[in-house]
Amino acid sequence: MLSKIVEPQASLHLKKLLEDCDAIKAAMVVTVDGNLCAMQQKGTYALERLATMGSSLMSLGDTITGELKMGFCNRIISENEQGIVAFMHINNELVLISITTEKNSLGMLLSHSKRCAENLAKAVSDL
Amino acid sequence: MRIIVKEIKLVFTGSMGAGKTTAISTISEIPVVNTDVRTTDKARLRKETTTVALDYGELTLDGGQKLKLYGTPGQQRFEYMWPIIIKGALGLIILVDDAADDPVADLAIYIKFFKSYLEDMPTVIGITRTDLKQGPGMPAYYDYLQNQDLQLPIFPVDPRQREHLIMIIQTLAAMVEVV
Repeated sequence: MLSKIVEPQASLHLKKLLEDCDAIKAAMVVTVDGNLCAMQQKGTYALERLATMGSSLMSLGDTITGELKMGFCNRIISENEQGIVAFMHINNELVLISITTEKNSLGMLLSHSKRCAENLAKAVSDL
Repeated sequence: MRIIVKEIKLVFTGSMGAGKTTAISTISEIPVVNTDVRTTDKARLRKETTTVALDYGELTLDGGQKLKLYGTPGQQRFEYMWPIIIKGALGLIILVDDAADDPVADLAIYIKFFKSYLEDMPTVIGITRTDLKQGPGMPAYYDYLQNQDLQLPIFPVDPRQREHLIMIIQTLAAMVEVV
């Protein structure tokens, strides 16, 4: 089961992501079909259902960009009254979801999350 | 007052592998919008891909009415999508894979979830893969519905066969009052 295989590496990278960026309050790695691999958070957010919702959203993003012939959907950003949620592909099978409650931290959220996704993609490529 | 319904939303729901995506692909006159992704867990033994958001297709009837065909994800962890997709639907088609481990229990999941819609929404049940003769067979489903005090049309159906699906849609059409 892919989620179990990548869990140790995913946990390590998520921990580092939250340590490196104060603005990021929670992050998780999920499979494209909605299984939770790992999550880290600084609060008590109910994140379990976000795994399946994130996979649905990412797949819709891929479907929309495919419809528009815009290639692969790199990321989806949800800007909300009380924070921002970013969804981005790690590779063809994994999605990173990261959350900030600071509305002015989109740049930090994206840059740190992108780096995390790239590093995690390398780390799991040989698994 | 006469109400002319030009667009009719139908929803295909049911268990994983029952043939929802296939059914919509079989009858849609447009390329089906689907959100299938690679299956990464033990369900992979049954199916290489799975729907994680929705399927969408269209079919125009002889009278000019357009059927908008939506498919739900089958896996229960995506059930939060089911009420989103069912909004505004005029008909519901529940597909159940007769060759699954416990197909009557699968049917029960969808009956229970959509129970509040069943009184007002025409609903048809299609049992798929009966040709494999691995399941309990049609009488088990009749018994289940009778025990639930439900009177719903139920057919064996091959989602790859257009005529089977047209029969289901005609049954629904007979139940939906379309002028």
